[in-house]
Amino acid sequence: MIAAPGRLRQANELRKRIVEIVYEGKDGHIPSAFSIIDLIDVLYDSQLRHDPAWPEWPDRDFFILSKGHGCVALYAVLEKQGYLTREDVSLFCKPGGILGEHPDCTKVPGVEASTGSLGHGLPFAVGIALGLRIAGRNNRVYVLIGDGESNEGTVWESALVAANLRLGNLCCIVDNNGSAAQILPMDPMTAKWEAFGWVAGEIDGHDADEIRHALGGLRFESFGQPKVIVANTLKGKGVGMLEGHGQWHHRIPNEEEFRHIMEVLS
Amino acid sequence: MSKPIRQQFADTMLALGQDDPELVVLVGDISHFALQPFAQACPGRYYNVGICEPTIISMAAGLAKVGLYPVVHTIAPFIVERGFEQIKLDFCYHKLGGNLVTVGGVFDYSTLGCTHHCYGDFALLKTLPGAQITYPSSCLEFDLLFRQAYRNDQLTLFRVPGTAHEVELDAASIQFGKGIRVVEGADLTIVAVGPQLRSAMAAHAALEARGWRPEVLYIHTARPLDAELIRASAAKTRRVLVIEEHMRSGGLGDEVLRETHQIGGVSYAFLAVPDVFVRDYASYEEHCARLGLSAGGIVREVEAVFGSSPEKQLV
Repeated sequence: MIAAPGRLRQANELRKRIVEIVYEGKDGHIPSAFSIIDLIDVLYDSQLRHDPAWPEWPDRDFFILSKGHGCVALYAVLEKQGYLTREDVSLFCKPGGILGEHPDCTKVPGVEASTGSLGHGLPFAVGIALGLRIAGRNNRVYVLIGDGESNEGTVWESALVAANLRLGNLCCIVDNNGSAAQILPMDPMTAKWEAFGWVAGEIDGHDADEIRHALGGLRFESFGQPKVIVANTLKGKGVGMLEGHGQWHHRIPNEEEFRHIMEVLS
Repeated sequence: MSKPIRQQFADTMLALGQDDPELVVLVGDISHFALQPFAQACPGRYYNVGICEPTIISMAAGLAKVGLYPVVHTIAPFIVERGFEQIKLDFCYHKLGGNLVTVGGVFDYSTLGCTHHCYGDFALLKTLPGAQITYPSSCLEFDLLFRQAYRNDQLTLFRVPGTAHEVELDAASIQFGKGIRVVEGADLTIVAVGPQLRSAMAAHAALEARGWRPEVLYIHTARPLDAELIRASAAKTRRVLVIEEHMRSGGLGDEVLRETHQIGGVSYAFLAVPDVFVRDYASYEEHCARLGLSAGGIVREVEAVFGSSPEKQLV
């Protein structure tokens, strides 16, 4: 499916913002952020019940970005949604700022978990989902993990536990960008989740309509199978020289490269 | 002899859980039957999660995130050592409160080998900002300390020993974060941690017969430590012996030195688990006796370090 031009423009604006933030802060993981930006944007735009004016709103849905190194994507969306000011973002990775290269939920409004060490977000989200059910609340819990992160044992411990506890209020999104294939391959990813007792689906993680359709079609319930969406993505998606698993994982563009990236995204 | 403190843990959960709908207990396949009364009285708030301790700890932090008061219970090394990063990040870095109730600390599982020993837990947890450490060594202490601390929004370890100290203490004196002067003395301070209070009290009688007037301080909360009590006693007696069931490195001995070194003119002796794996198979009592964690060990150490009596102090 080809995304509508307006939609592409919006996604490119967020990608440009990610590159600006990293370029100015002289830190960050651009390709990892590009990999998940479409997923996070759709989540905040159309799926999560949330209130930027009241980040701790008790009835909000919870979103945990477990692969914390992609956090610039989250910051760009939180800025777009009004959780963060332009000034907050201008201090990314700078003294006095609240935004670092991994998110800190004790500082950043709208961030639910301080992640960075992989394999923590899913079990934390399992606890949140269980706690909400114990408390009789119907908030929904979303957690985004990486396919490389899925090498971690705690991901599969948690997958077992969530299925066993029938946490039907939990949705895990796997940013399946091929990182694991460079290290310890995880394929077939979707079949693995199904084998662990989850309702699993697979989508193009850069197609906003497909993401919206997949997330919107999920049936959340207190007791039921947890859901997983394996989102097939591309690291660095949108700018040829950033795509793939090469040197750009944690590289900061120089002035010339910055101009080139912004030009491509324009 | 009173009931096992582990049973008191189950009893306290049952009593508290009926009044507090926010108390949730997660276990890693241990004490499952002892906790059934809690499970039945508090439906939906007891989970034998599985044999997956790191996940249990992260889950517990998630429960705390939505306003519940979690208790994680299983064998000490599998919580504190295997799950250390989860404790560090998901509780302490997040500034979330929760409760870890361990059994099988030190070498309580005395013949199971070093896989089931844990004598470095205090040292590990002391590196975590905000973490609290208690060693309630009687049923009364467990019940009171748990009630006092479990909702204070910090991460708290309750190290439950297999052996109680069997010393009767006034309930009013048992306050979280406060030590207890069990016996007032003049020329020697014995700082006893956890079950070793029993050794300290037996040694007190033996030392008195040798002319000493020992002061016995009891510490059930290693963090926050009642440093004021220890400093006041050290300033008075100028001789301090610390006895603890923890590795020498990172144990309470280090804390006592740090808190009292500025007094000056104080001599020290330390009885602890040496910095080795305790590879022998023996009963808990036999391990203690071999390591000098006993009344006899205290008397020997006092005479070796401080002299055979206060008047015959070694130079």
